[in-house]
Amino acid sequence: MSAEIGETTGVVREARFTSALILTVFWVLPIALLIMSAFKTPIEFSSTSTLALPQSFHLFDNIARAWAKGMASGFVNSAIYGVVASVISVILAAMAAYGIVRLRIPQGMFWFLLIYSGTIFPFQMYLIPLFNLYLDTGLYDTRIGIIAFYVAITIPFCMFVMRGFFLTVSWQVQEAAALDGANSWQTFWRIMMPMARAPLILLILIQFTWIWNDLLFGLVLTKSESVRPIMVALAGMQGVYGASDGPSVIAATLVGSAPTLILFLALQRYFVRGLTLGMGER
Amino acid sequence: MTATLDHTAAPLIRRPAGRPLRQLVVPYLYVLPAALFVAAFLLYPMVLTAWRSLTHFDGISDPTFAGLDNFRDLFADPHFLLSLRNTVIWTVAAVIFPVTLGLVFALAFSRVRWGGFFKTVIYLPATISAAAAGILFSFVFNYDNGILNMILRGIGLSGLASRWLFDVPTNTFAMIATYTWQQTGLNMMLFLVGLQGLPPEPIEAAKIEGCTGWNLVRRIILPMLMPYVVITTLLAIVNGFKVFDLIWVMTQGGPGRASETLAVTMYREGFILFKQGYSAAIAVVISVVALAFSYFYLRSVLEQEARQ
Repeated sequence: MSAEIGETTGVVREARFTSALILTVFWVLPIALLIMSAFKTPIEFSSTSTLALPQSFHLFDNIARAWAKGMASGFVNSAIYGVVASVISVILAAMAAYGIVRLRIPQGMFWFLLIYSGTIFPFQMYLIPLFNLYLDTGLYDTRIGIIAFYVAITIPFCMFVMRGFFLTVSWQVQEAAALDGANSWQTFWRIMMPMARAPLILLILIQFTWIWNDLLFGLVLTKSESVRPIMVALAGMQGVYGASDGPSVIAATLVGSAPTLILFLALQRYFVRGLTLGMGER
Repeated sequence: MTATLDHTAAPLIRRPAGRPLRQLVVPYLYVLPAALFVAAFLLYPMVLTAWRSLTHFDGISDPTFAGLDNFRDLFADPHFLLSLRNTVIWTVAAVIFPVTLGLVFALAFSRVRWGGFFKTVIYLPATISAAAAGILFSFVFNYDNGILNMILRGIGLSGLASRWLFDVPTNTFAMIATYTWQQTGLNMMLFLVGLQGLPPEPIEAAKIEGCTGWNLVRRIILPMLMPYVVITTLLAIVNGFKVFDLIWVMTQGGPGRASETLAVTMYREGFILFKQGYSAAIAVVISVVALAFSYFYLRSVLEQEARQ
């Protein structure tokens, strides 16, 4: 059902194809050229043209140097934060949606809006008190602290999507479970969650990507190398070594971008469906 | 989308009358954990920000009530006014370039050989973080050996080679170019979703009438796509208004404070200069503007959903 546009004579078709190809090549050109720099030694990088092909193969040396400069912990931290926080968030959000839609909590609309309101305001609106709160409670610069925040900030969107899903589940399913003597907890885990596998996986993907790519909250809520997430580590590395060791910063950025890029390529179809769910907001 | 079942018509599940209290409590056990997380980490700090914006507060000594002083000071502060101007430039550019290009790419790729491949490539920048994109492009824009200046010098245009990230206002344009590189794919995908949902009949009919190419796009397709143009534009405004990561890694708002936007100014005032009350006031300004556009955005999305 795609919108076929216009006549398709051979010449026009070829012209379209060629211009699309040129456009796409132009789009990736800056980064494609930059990748060459990730193979060079720092001396080669600063003494030869960036457009010159690498004379040596130092990609792994560059990555190893970046790893020694704090990328290793950033990578591991963000992997932990992304997996743990998105899984907890999706479970809590699904429970809330289940409570609102399927168990019909009194004033369901109030609870829906209360949770959803967390996503309406721009991040700037809670940065400073959050920072103070974290200092006061000892959550500042701890893994538990940043995971708790990532859980909180990803809950509203997940709850919104899960609510939409639970509205479509047939009520006969729930009645049948009740007749079989299942309590609400069993119904939730054995019947609802398995049915919701597709949206659950999609949400974990979206939220993992968001957490991995976050810079702002990592900057505000963490400080030490052993806690800070990958984007903070990258930004810090660029600030310190950007001028003296370009190749390792470029290599580190490429490696740091790989997980979300690979996730997208592997699970493209899910992602495109996700866009229509939230229309791309955050 | 599967049709929503009319659950209001379904009979209520009745529990044995012996356990009314438990039945009353159970739903709360499911909803409260999520609600508590949101209330403690998001809503409570939000209320505090609103309150702090009315105080003088350095983060250490007790805040003192200041009424609307912070807001009055803002509009007399040259840093804030410059930042506001930059933010307006960013917002306008964030609509013009990524949205227009996204629409052009969506139209161009929806009917071309290798279309799926082209779409994927253009979307790839949107999968990496704004921080990573900013770092990569600060190398592209480097004066001495950045790719852009190298190419300019190579084709005999060395006069155009610039200190892209250090000159004002060139640095804002360089960052907007990076932003465009990153965001266009997202907008393109939204337009492709819209194009896929268009009914084929009017387009077929127009083609039979001899309406083709640009005429077909302008007269038939664009008008039908209009709801998506509105939604994508509003979303671009909201996102463009809040840009932080990209600027932070590319210029940190510099040189001096010349390329700051409101999000960067707010961060600098709050976390580097420790003027927390003042910073909270900037946060309130950002929120009011973003909320206004979010409202129109949500309304358009809901209208569009109701139409389908």
